[in-house]
Amino acid sequence: MSRKARFVDGCRKGIPITFGYVPMGIGYAAIAIKAGFTPLQTISMSFLVYAGAGQIIAASMVLSGAAAMAIILTNFVVNLRYFVMSICVLNQIDDSNTPLNILAAHVTVDESFAMFSLSEDSSIWTYLGISITSWLSWCLGAAIGVFLLDLLPVIVTNSFNISLYALFVAILIPAIKENKQIAILVLITAILNVVLGQFLGNWSLIVSTLLGATVGMYIVDDEYILGGDA
Amino acid sequence: MDYINLVILGCAVVTFIPRLIPALFVDKLNFPPKAEKFLNLIPYTALAALICPGVLTVDNQLWYIGLIGAVVAAGLAWKKVPLGAIVILTVVILIAVYSIVPFF
Repeated sequence: MSRKARFVDGCRKGIPITFGYVPMGIGYAAIAIKAGFTPLQTISMSFLVYAGAGQIIAASMVLSGAAAMAIILTNFVVNLRYFVMSICVLNQIDDSNTPLNILAAHVTVDESFAMFSLSEDSSIWTYLGISITSWLSWCLGAAIGVFLLDLLPVIVTNSFNISLYALFVAILIPAIKENKQIAILVLITAILNVVLGQFLGNWSLIVSTLLGATVGMYIVDDEYILGGDA
Repeated sequence: MDYINLVILGCAVVTFIPRLIPALFVDKLNFPPKAEKFLNLIPYTALAALICPGVLTVDNQLWYIGLIGAVVAAGLAWKKVPLGAIVILTVVILIAVYSIVPFF
């Protein structure tokens, strides 16, 4: 396949993610506008930061009047997982160069990372197709939110908050269904995160992700987890 | 600088740096099989940690709203409904749930 064909293929694979990102982007815009962001600031944050949960936390903290440094530090901790995800994605890609890697790094988020990691693809162009489609739909959601917010009833914007989780669950279920060891690992990691959250607060997300993968080294067969990609 | 602009720029910088560092160095790295396995397990554990317990805070007042959404999405995924349709159906069902909550 040519680069262009791979990119278009990636864009097509990214479409389901946009179904979650547009409503979630509207939900984020609702919080940001309430917190006093201008429409331009609301959309710029989606473009420049591009971190679902991180942006929503930041806007909520602005709303409650937190100090800028506290908000920025919280964002650093909550988004530190992208370091691990960026390593995973770039390690899987076999046809890239540094400028493309830098672009790919900015558009690495949970869904594009999970979808790409759990596929057999290894081209930067496929990954950029998935990720840029997702990124633009997240910005589009914020733009729609800024202009349509007053027209939407509260129960609709509240319901939009589920869309990211619906994506997470939907991406994870096929693997759970296929492999009992993965199902057990997911359960262990979820419990770890709940328990560690009591002690570590925002750090528990990254810590339990890494601890969970360490547990997985022992309970998941090599054949299953190393089978797909060489 | 304006408080909100400072927040946006600060968050942009601290979010981009962790993403950027691997992009600058990953070409030079060659991971042994054990590290490959570890990296391949990350998607599962990251998604697990993102879902639980965060899904219970979808609605700050009604914790079960998120749980209902997660169960609906899981059921649809189990039945192999396409990803985009799962998201739309889950949102629609939650709107329906919100509509009947006041009656209880």
